[in-house]
Amino acid sequence: MLNPEQKERYSRNIKLHGFGEFGQEKLLASKVLIAGAGGLGSPAIFYLTAVGVGELTIIDPDVVISSNLQRQIIHSTADIQRLKVISAKEKVKALNPDVHVTALAERLDESNIRRLVNTHDFIVDCTDNPATKFLINDVCVEQKKPFSHAGVVSMTGQIMTYIPGHACLRCAFEEPRAGTALTANDIGVLGAVAGTLGSLQAAEAVKYLAGCAELLIDSFLFLDVAHATWKKAKVKRDRYCLACGEKANRIR
Amino acid sequence: MRIRVKLFATLSRFSKSEYSGAPFEIEIPEGTTIQDLINLLKIPAEEAKITFVNGITQPPDYLIKPDDEVGIFPPIGGG
Repeated sequence: MLNPEQKERYSRNIKLHGFGEFGQEKLLASKVLIAGAGGLGSPAIFYLTAVGVGELTIIDPDVVISSNLQRQIIHSTADIQRLKVISAKEKVKALNPDVHVTALAERLDESNIRRLVNTHDFIVDCTDNPATKFLINDVCVEQKKPFSHAGVVSMTGQIMTYIPGHACLRCAFEEPRAGTALTANDIGVLGAVAGTLGSLQAAEAVKYLAGCAELLIDSFLFLDVAHATWKKAKVKRDRYCLACGEKANRIR
Repeated sequence: MRIRVKLFATLSRFSKSEYSGAPFEIEIPEGTTIQDLINLLKIPAEEAKITFVNGITQPPDYLIKPDDEVGIFPPIGGG
């Protein structure tokens, strides 16, 4: 049951079509894992905090450096050289005391991912490299957990949502060979593009957890800000997919 | 026959347009598939898995028709 302060704080959520007090109660009872507190993670963390997800776990091994600050808006100049997860946790606590945050200053990898995915209701992939993105995909498919994928570089980005039984990241893309993908280090990234994609990831998580509206499943949305275009591409589930196909040989 | 091609995101480095990422026209033989076009543009196979024709996703064996606009998307891995 929402208390009077919560009814006021979340009144604009509650008024959304299909959301209601029940949707808010579901959000407050949910646990979300956010992998990465950078360009995508900054807005995702802010919006999932503001909307009132009950428990957030933020995992990122890095400290804030000066070149992060043009896009990683959860961190400020005074946070340089501080752990990103500690900086982010402070912002969450200041924004919404309803949200319980766990800050993990470690890399998401084979040693911890299964335990973390298993203990959360939804995973938001805000990581900055293809290897971790495909690891998150494969473990979420294996454990039948929903997640939001996004990637961003230069003035472009992509986003998709996975829920069990639908197309996964590997149905659409092969894992690039290590070191072949161009990154923000090579060709830059515009902060507002990362912010747009990270905000959409938060919206996907909220729609799933509150049980309202349509999800971005079996499709990719591509954003090309350089040419001011959006494209939505349907993605069919690949029956031979290495992660989710009928005869998927467990690749991990 | 002439068609239009739009390469998204990091694929714009394979563009024939002087403006990286802008659509460009290209002359291709009849019977060219999307996969043939990807090979022609020297785009590595693993970088071009989602392809559109006139705004609708089509598989690599789609036979390109005159005046089609083909869009090719790479995976984007940054965050």
